[in-house]
Amino acid sequence: MNKRLSRIDELAREIPPARDLWPAIAAAIEADKAAAGVPAQSRRRAGWWPAAGLAASVALVAIGVLIGENIGHQPVQQAGIPAHSTNPAVMPATLRDAEYRKQRDALWVEVRAKLQAMPPAERAKVGASLDTLRRSITEIEAALGRDPANALLQELLVNSCQEEMRALTVVRDSGREEIGT
Amino acid sequence: MKPETVVDFDVALIERARRGDAKAFERLYREHVGRVNGLCLRMTRNPDLAADCVQDAFIKAWKALPRFEARSSFSTWLHRIAVNTVLEKRRGSANAEIAVEDPSEFEEPAMVLDSPVEEEELEAAIESLPQGARDALVLCGLYGYEHSEAASMLGIAVGTCKAQLHRARGLLKDRLERGVR
Repeated sequence: MNKRLSRIDELAREIPPARDLWPAIAAAIEADKAAAGVPAQSRRRAGWWPAAGLAASVALVAIGVLIGENIGHQPVQQAGIPAHSTNPAVMPATLRDAEYRKQRDALWVEVRAKLQAMPPAERAKVGASLDTLRRSITEIEAALGRDPANALLQELLVNSCQEEMRALTVVRDSGREEIGT
Repeated sequence: MKPETVVDFDVALIERARRGDAKAFERLYREHVGRVNGLCLRMTRNPDLAADCVQDAFIKAWKALPRFEARSSFSTWLHRIAVNTVLEKRRGSANAEIAVEDPSEFEEPAMVLDSPVEEEELEAAIESLPQGARDALVLCGLYGYEHSEAASMLGIAVGTCKAQLHRARGLLKDRLERGVR
């Protein structure tokens, strides 16, 4: 039913958006929190165990997993320490960049070496966190494969890959401050 | 703007959100998203672009929360961010400035229409207005902002805002008489 109005300010001021925008806002907030928290925490924990930085990264990409599951679950390969399975067809342009891929692969090589040098208990913990990160990225990629135009998933993938880089850097640099001081 | 009650409930949520509580910020989002979306939708005339603006505005608001002064209205502050976001997205399509010699000539009474019109017809007539006139009408006529507040949000002179509103009223009257659609 269409109302008849006598004044402009009788129009509804509230118009709900067609879709819920909160998941994307929440993801951005988590990314913001992680970006603000990781460097400080990782500096405080200069030893082998970069748990704080990894926890923040894992929390961020976990959102990607939830969204991926909502869109449709597909079995995901256990990541181990990864064979990179990224499908270029579903990747946002920033992640197709050759320089980024080169840097990421180089970081993984360094991190693998670092993991080998860690005590077994710490290696297991750090390895598990990195596994979770990589698994989350794989899930988002799988969801993007099913819905390549989904801007939210693209953004999540970019954010998650940035978190992966940040986490890998934290692991690579762990122990350096102790050695240097 | 006509004084808007700063509800204690909002103040408590803002304080919690300021301390990093995303749940509290989500409640603020749920409470305000309709109005913010209504504003963005009427300024952009494009539901997808409006949704982008709303999303960006809330993310910016989260980041800027530490700078929010609790004595001002959260709603006005949020609308200011949303208007800024819309203006940024327009990029390059600058608001048309109207030269004004005596802004007092544009003092206007309430936004009363000559005769009642259907809601849909009124929305269509507003949508058809030129950008600058529409912005002034939406902010002053519909959302109740004073010329000084609307001008500050839009980055234009108060006189220009008054002139745009005057122009909007004339065009609106004309279009409603002729029948837009």
